[in-house]
Amino acid sequence: MPKSLFVDPAETRAAGKISFNDIPVNTYNKTIKQERKKFGDDNLVRIYRDITVLREFESMLNQIKTQGLYNGIETTYPGPAHLSIGQEAACVGQAYLLDQNDFTFGSHRSHSEILAKALSCINKLSDQELMTIMEGFLGGSALRATEKLGKTDSVKELAIRFILYGTLSEIFARDTGFHKGMGGSMHAFFLPFGIYPNNAIVGGSAAIATGAALFKKVNDKQGIVVCNSGDGSMARGPVWEAMNFASMDQFHTLWESHKGGMPILYNVFNNSYGMGDQTRGETMGYDMLARIGSGISPTQFHAERIDGFNPLAVIDAMERKLEILRAGEGPVLLDTITYRFSGHSTSDQNAYRTKEEIDAWREVDPIITYRQGLVDAGVASDSKLEEILAETAERMTMICKAASDPQISPYVDFKADPAVVERLMFSNEKIEKLDDREPEVNMPLAEVPAYKKLKEKERCPIVDGKPVSKMKLFNLRDALSEVIYDRFYEDPTLIAYGEDCRDWGGAFAVYRGMMDAFPHCRLFNSPIAEAAIVGTAVGYAVSGGRALIELMYADFIGCAGDEIFNQMSKWQAMSAGILKMPVVLRVSVGSKYGAQHSQDWTALCAHIPGLKVCFPATPWEAKGLMESALKGTDPVVFFESQRIYDVGEQFHEGGVPAERYEIEFGDVNKVRSGNDVTILTIGAALYRAMDAAKTLSEKYGMEAEVINLHSLVPLDYTKIVESVRKTGGVVLVSDACARGSFLNDVAKNITELCFDDLDAPPVVVGARNWITPPFEFDEFFFPQASWILDAIHEKLVPLAGHTVENGCTEAEAYRRAKQGV
Amino acid sequence: MANAVIMPKAGITVESCIIGTWEKKIGDEVKVGDILFTYETDKASFECESTAEGTLLEIFFAEGDEVPCLVNVCAIGAQGEDCSSLRPEGAAQEAPAVEAPKAEEAKPEVKTAPVIEATAASDGSAPASPRAKKLAERAGVDYSLATPTGPNGRIIERDVRAIMENPPAEKVVASAPVQAIAEEEFTDVKFSGIRRAISKSMHTSLSTMAQLTHNSTFDATNILSYRKLLKAAGDDYAGITLGDIVLFAVSRTLKNYPDLNAHMLDDNNIRLFKHVNLGVAIDTPRGLMVPTIFRADEKSLLEISLEVKALAAQCREGNINPDLLTGGTFTVSNLGALGIETFTPVINPPQTGILGVCRSVDRVRKAADGSIDVYPAMGLSLTYDHRALDGAPASRFLKELGENLEKFTALLAK
Repeated sequence: MPKSLFVDPAETRAAGKISFNDIPVNTYNKTIKQERKKFGDDNLVRIYRDITVLREFESMLNQIKTQGLYNGIETTYPGPAHLSIGQEAACVGQAYLLDQNDFTFGSHRSHSEILAKALSCINKLSDQELMTIMEGFLGGSALRATEKLGKTDSVKELAIRFILYGTLSEIFARDTGFHKGMGGSMHAFFLPFGIYPNNAIVGGSAAIATGAALFKKVNDKQGIVVCNSGDGSMARGPVWEAMNFASMDQFHTLWESHKGGMPILYNVFNNSYGMGDQTRGETMGYDMLARIGSGISPTQFHAERIDGFNPLAVIDAMERKLEILRAGEGPVLLDTITYRFSGHSTSDQNAYRTKEEIDAWREVDPIITYRQGLVDAGVASDSKLEEILAETAERMTMICKAASDPQISPYVDFKADPAVVERLMFSNEKIEKLDDREPEVNMPLAEVPAYKKLKEKERCPIVDGKPVSKMKLFNLRDALSEVIYDRFYEDPTLIAYGEDCRDWGGAFAVYRGMMDAFPHCRLFNSPIAEAAIVGTAVGYAVSGGRALIELMYADFIGCAGDEIFNQMSKWQAMSAGILKMPVVLRVSVGSKYGAQHSQDWTALCAHIPGLKVCFPATPWEAKGLMESALKGTDPVVFFESQRIYDVGEQFHEGGVPAERYEIEFGDVNKVRSGNDVTILTIGAALYRAMDAAKTLSEKYGMEAEVINLHSLVPLDYTKIVESVRKTGGVVLVSDACARGSFLNDVAKNITELCFDDLDAPPVVVGARNWITPPFEFDEFFFPQASWILDAIHEKLVPLAGHTVENGCTEAEAYRRAKQGV
Repeated sequence: MANAVIMPKAGITVESCIIGTWEKKIGDEVKVGDILFTYETDKASFECESTAEGTLLEIFFAEGDEVPCLVNVCAIGAQGEDCSSLRPEGAAQEAPAVEAPKAEEAKPEVKTAPVIEATAASDGSAPASPRAKKLAERAGVDYSLATPTGPNGRIIERDVRAIMENPPAEKVVASAPVQAIAEEEFTDVKFSGIRRAISKSMHTSLSTMAQLTHNSTFDATNILSYRKLLKAAGDDYAGITLGDIVLFAVSRTLKNYPDLNAHMLDDNNIRLFKHVNLGVAIDTPRGLMVPTIFRADEKSLLEISLEVKALAAQCREGNINPDLLTGGTFTVSNLGALGIETFTPVINPPQTGILGVCRSVDRVRKAADGSIDVYPAMGLSLTYDHRALDGAPASRFLKELGENLEKFTALLAK
């Protein structure tokens, strides 16, 4: 909604037509003989060698999975083997021109992509560079293991063994794997060569790779990004969201600095099948995959179909596409035709295709046809190529033997070190800035009008005994803004985006006025595409930046389910700590907007290992937690409540400090002291709990201790247990639906941690297990102060003279549970 | 004007009582002094006499209801008179029919609780919260004596605090026989409040303590001949029994064994008493009751004897003050008159010992000169809590007690 772009009715309503350019299909038609001079014989032969390495690697896995035996080595592993036998030439062709500054992302079928990219980098890097990389990776432990395989004078040969061994032992779940086995087959990668994670979720890499491209673009980093996927992923929404995100007009129309298209190539290894579904002809309607670029951008994504069975055709296409990308005219889409001889997995019975079809493709298998081409063109003798094949098998046998040997390649010892994965879940670092350059801003912070205004506000709700007017009061929204300003002027990599973040200032005005301070490349409106918002932030963070993103309503978490629950949460641990995930995801819990805009989904996020989850309910908490979140290196889901953006700081003495401070994740905030009952709250329910505490004191002579759990994950129970030990009873309150609420987890832990001190079981007071009714009926759905009193009366300590309004007897609890409501 | 009859306060520590049976029904004419209903504490059973004359207009509580002391139980006045103003809060809205008492579960769900009310009968069967149990253990009180006011009839912290501030009477170790009218093969009878308390107390006693019993005998020649002297002396002296003599000896001997004149507070703490408050088991028509002779160690044999007789009479008549059924530091149970030669008395918690007194049996023994001599051997059975003391001191107590009884006249002279 930028005002600078005029939506002209005359132009918008004018007659006309949309024209498309022709989409090239398999236009490459040169022979090896014609290309011999351009490539040089050594490189043409090396292409063959690389194909054999990839083929042998997966043939080995196939034999291990199906027979438990490879070249006389008895070994096996229980994990997955999604093989791409047949697709090697396409991978080698793609990697041929890429170097370590070009990032590749893959799918669950990416062994060949990884190895091809690694072999290409090994060829390009000097011996010294290679040794530095190998020595530096995991403290040289993978190199030490590789050296045990036997002596070699060639650093390149050592590097090839290193990459094969590191990948295989990762697949075998060994401690010597590139990520200590925590990633495995579907999540292998090797950052020093620019090989980023492949991904077990079909299409899962699309938004992440787009985020990596965003990182390169915003931070002026060298290289382009390749997002590999299969044709089956083209049906997935997040893939479309990512491609649309990458081709936003604003890169050309609004980004004054860093103008130009995204440096990303969406490459689809199109083998005609999803798992068993046939894309063209059955589950898709595009006829040819290359067509879909035309539906997204006038550039048509420069898409073309190329023959992935001819490595030289792929190299030719890559050469042309890299030029486009480097010129800032991306993104690009390649429909790389290939074929998978192997099944989807080793249990695949090939029920969906005929033997004739497989045989027909086998006849044009590049490992035969390309080799024949080399011989025919006189590039190499058949015996030399046979020698390469034997060398490849010999090397692979050595690798397999070593990766299977528990002496050389031990498993992580969980018995000796039970906390091995535990340590990987969070990086727990505090890094002020992720790059040393000066942050790109429009003016000095002190001159930013909105920031100046914010600094003039009263930080206490009561000044000289008089309540401060709402307009002058420094509220929760201001507390968030203040930290975000401060952090933007410190960390040059920090960017913020989401729906309507810039001109609108965010739907709830946390970013109001920030467009004056920050250029578009640091604060921009994203499309209404939650999966892309979160997925790109994941890619931005794993590439080395820090992202602050927003989903307008917590209810939209479902739209970004995979990105939050599988990607943002898991990569730190799956990479054995090599990747960091400094992403802060702001989500707002709504009110007044009905059933799809009013949900507290903290429990969903807290359930997922690897996410930090917080929900500040006071301005003091909001500022301290945001400061902590934006300095940390872990993914944070930062819940906010639309009910309380306007509240001032009522509990912290002196109001919200003007100076910077951090609140540690895990801490809790005791806002009221008492000896008779403990009330634990999450979110805006804090204020209703305070009302209940007031009534308890005035009417029933009971003093409640009220503790707000502003941090759900992690959570330090020390102060909670201390309080419950003192009072003997605890009510837990939040606006989340009671069934499955995070509070039940807290209640369970309290029961275990201080059972003997409890006078009654902990009582959870949550919203009813219904849809949220219209706002007019809020009091019937969300916990009210009276519900808290009812809970105390019915479950903890009967209150003399109390009249129950909204109680829940045991019989009623049975009934509700039985009805599922 | 109609008059209310209140639930009497059966002792300063008694907070509420359970109505036993209604002797009158609505519409009956009653005179002052007529028995209206029976009621029981967890210690004893009593009869409530009418304090008014007229027609029994309304009964506010049914049999089995627990009624706080001093609360109106029924109304008596002129036929047809309105007595609704006398109905206490928390009472059943409808007058319970005496002839056909309502099933207990038919209690209406009362949503409004004007005062902190008992949420279940304080009959020792109520569940207690972990916190209440922990507090009770620390404070050395029996939480089962607390009146539950928590949800679902649970004893909660405040209930234990209540009995800490206002300790209830000790439980009676008694065995009220259950009279079951056998209409069929059997009859299931719900325990009375007393019986329930005893059941709980005895089970608690045996399941929570390390009890064991030592048996010994002593030569009763001396006390038998002393008793003859007393009989001959006439007056009150003639009433002094062998049991009284044993009580006297126990009250003196215990002074050297503080661990037996004590209360176990918990597994780690014991309370030792300066004086001997002797519990005396008394057989009554309602069962065995245990009134206390306070400061028995300071009382003469005659005083002890007279006090036992007075207490026994009150117990048999059922009008003993419940406060006299508490505070014992050691108990003596005499089954000698019933022909028992040896038995295992059960400790009345939290005491640490109980002495069983048995009949005397003629035994023979060889004197120093080799001659055979017949003498009356009287049995003593001491049960003690091994947590509080070991077998050797317990045996020494029995030995010293036997010696004191064998040389009773010398003990009297001390």
